[in-house]
Amino acid sequence: MVCFIFILLRISPGDPSLKFVSPELNPGLAQKIKESFGLNKPIAEQFIQFISNIFTGNFGVSYEFRKPVAGVIKNYLYFTFVFSLISFIIQITISYFLALLSVKKINGIVDRFLNKTSLVLYAIPSFVLGVFLIFIFSEKLKLLPASGLMSYDSESLSGSARITDYFLHMILPVITLSLGGIAVFYKYLRDNLDEVFNKPFVLNSYGYGLSKKEITKKHIIPNAISPLISIAGVELGILFSGALITEVIFGLPGMGRLTVNAILSRDYPLVVGCTFISGVLIIISNLLADLLKAEIDKRLIAGMIN
Amino acid sequence: MKPKQVFFCIVLILAIYLPSCVNNNHEKNDRIVVAIPADAESLNPLFAFSFQEVNITELLYLSLVQHEWNDSDGDVKTSPMAAKNWVWNDDSTTITLNLRDDINWRDGHKLTAEDVIFSFDVYSDPDVQSRFFGTFNKFYLEKDQHIDLQKSFDSDNPYTIKIHFKPHSNPGLVDIDPPILPKHVFSNFDRKKFVQLEKGNDSVTCGPFYLSKWNPTQSIILKADENSFLYKPGTVKELIFKVIPDYNSRVTQLKNGEIDLMENVKPDQLSDLKALNRIKISAVKGREYDYAGWNNKIDLFSNPKVRNALTYAINREEILTEYLGNNGDLAVGPVAPIFKDSYNHNLKPFDYDPQKAKELLASDGWEDINKDGILEKNGVQFSFILNYAGGNPRREFAATVIKNNLKAIGVDVKAEPLEQGVFMEKMFTHKLNAWLAGWSVPIPIDLKPYWYSDLKQGSFNLTSYKNSTVDELLDKIEKSKPGSLKNELYKQLQEILYQDEPVSFLYWIDNNVAYNDRLENIKITPLGSVHHCWNWSVKN
Repeated sequence: MVCFIFILLRISPGDPSLKFVSPELNPGLAQKIKESFGLNKPIAEQFIQFISNIFTGNFGVSYEFRKPVAGVIKNYLYFTFVFSLISFIIQITISYFLALLSVKKINGIVDRFLNKTSLVLYAIPSFVLGVFLIFIFSEKLKLLPASGLMSYDSESLSGSARITDYFLHMILPVITLSLGGIAVFYKYLRDNLDEVFNKPFVLNSYGYGLSKKEITKKHIIPNAISPLISIAGVELGILFSGALITEVIFGLPGMGRLTVNAILSRDYPLVVGCTFISGVLIIISNLLADLLKAEIDKRLIAGMIN
Repeated sequence: MKPKQVFFCIVLILAIYLPSCVNNNHEKNDRIVVAIPADAESLNPLFAFSFQEVNITELLYLSLVQHEWNDSDGDVKTSPMAAKNWVWNDDSTTITLNLRDDINWRDGHKLTAEDVIFSFDVYSDPDVQSRFFGTFNKFYLEKDQHIDLQKSFDSDNPYTIKIHFKPHSNPGLVDIDPPILPKHVFSNFDRKKFVQLEKGNDSVTCGPFYLSKWNPTQSIILKADENSFLYKPGTVKELIFKVIPDYNSRVTQLKNGEIDLMENVKPDQLSDLKALNRIKISAVKGREYDYAGWNNKIDLFSNPKVRNALTYAINREEILTEYLGNNGDLAVGPVAPIFKDSYNHNLKPFDYDPQKAKELLASDGWEDINKDGILEKNGVQFSFILNYAGGNPRREFAATVIKNNLKAIGVDVKAEPLEQGVFMEKMFTHKLNAWLAGWSVPIPIDLKPYWYSDLKQGSFNLTSYKNSTVDELLDKIEKSKPGSLKNELYKQLQEILYQDEPVSFLYWIDNNVAYNDRLENIKITPLGSVHHCWNWSVKN
């Protein structure tokens, strides 16, 4: 993957040293900086150097930050990891309970309301939602901060006040990032639950005298949730790659912003580093989802063994 | 308790608790919060490449002299800073500066002539690759453009320094204004690795502010150095640069009072902000202009008559009114009207006159022979692609207007946006035939890079414009001292460019700065919105 990205970057137009081209700067400076980036060497030589570095876990030095790529990514990854995980847990939990609420009476008032609301939430672009939430909760109600990760003087706050400060700063971004996901997961789970409810084995279970609660817990949910886990694995991977729009609107230091800025400024080593990390996280997320599916439905393991 | 009751209680508690938790400390009496769209990459003056970084580092480090914008002359006025006075020798090749002896670095070391010499040394060192590299042409230089320290500097005591310049190089105070660096800090490191120094090394400063905290991607917090000779009691004590990438969030936070100042307010938001009584708007007349560039080397645009026709055909007034809300001025050339003495007031902007444009094109042999609505000459249709960098709504709007305007005179234009990086590369490598872009005129004005025929010296002459008279004038300007002669030369230069119209000069763009009316003594000039902000105070 990283080889593909390396080649793609080098054949695409753009020059990282153009940032240093300005009437106020000496024209020779851009050339000197280009040399210091090693971009004056033949592509083949750059590629061999790049590959040998990759095997030692070295992605090179970022052109923008002038620091090792791993160090730069580490600073952004930590936030993205926490932020994505919180949002993911919220998405799964809320959609789960809403779906259960919905299937209590299919086509009832609650079900219809949730169905329609989920469609609306899914259709709202996150940049509209983010700006709307800022307008309501920051500008009008003055309840929550409009952007940033913390207040300037958060360091002078006591432990609990600092946690509250972080918490308050995270509310709007987490809502913005999560609402769309909640709508998707809800819809998916609700339809699955409805489908499983109508399967003959459910009627059979009633015949055995099992209560509705028991049937739902032991048979319906495990059957309905399995396909959702695959989708959740993909979604978690995407979240780990960064939530660009939310990060930009709320001024958050996430992987999405880092990756896009690296692409725009042609920071080749950083682009490769970000892509690599995103790829690894997507693979891990999907692997976790598969393992979880196998844990819930043992037949999958049996099938694999057979 | 039922789940519904639990839920209701939680909502109630949050509704009461949240408003009390929101940190409303931003409106402190001695604190000013300035919004910036992106974090700084470096606060080290060696590598502060962007305008924003330069503005911030100027608050952290002193220079020998300081510049102030003089509105009445339309030029900069230079006054003492780290140097308390100076004297030039008779032929202006040597300047003797006496430094203040009351300037301390944050770690207690005195600022001396050694720091000044060291600063020029590292700024010009090719190994360092600083933003000033290659700009010391008036100094005695070694082959690699490193300043020859032996020939250039003399210092017989810690607070006196003599700087020698090359004969006939016509030096000025702007040549000695880079920020001064602490020798005792930087000399401990390998120069080749200066660029990789951790951010903590930016903390030994000597300016009116010091770096209190840098939260990457979030905020840069400066505090006033009360020991600085520039500090005055009652002025701002804390200056916070808050990173807010999203424009709408910046506006919201300005309205909320979370930030005190933001730049580049879009014209359509001005009336909203003005309606809030506590927001003031300062429209700084621009030194940034947009232009439509024509590749002068290709047949289509090689004739000045054709380029003049194109300017006549573009309704620049419409863009200025409709998009910029009249927050700007029509441009006649590359010298901004703010440079009052150098600006040629006799030149009047080209009118929007499609008829005249048609006549000019007809006189050059362009006519619609096959009656398809597009002009032809020698079997070639007047058709081209107008490129611009995508993601810039102003240029998108202008491109659409230009396309429609030129179609009306029989010129077929395809407006095509390119990704910023691709656009820049193609523009700088002269691969575009027609494009929309903009320039910011440096202070003091230097037009040689933009219009000189020799592309080695005129590396920003992207249209490949050639005019020997212009070259002569630019050479003379370079050798002239600031004053009436130089201003006269600039006026002549503008007149020729006005006639040749190597590009269609479109409009100068005002920088609308909005700020909270609790800020006092604030003066926003073309030198930057936070320039000399150590004089600002906050209303009690």
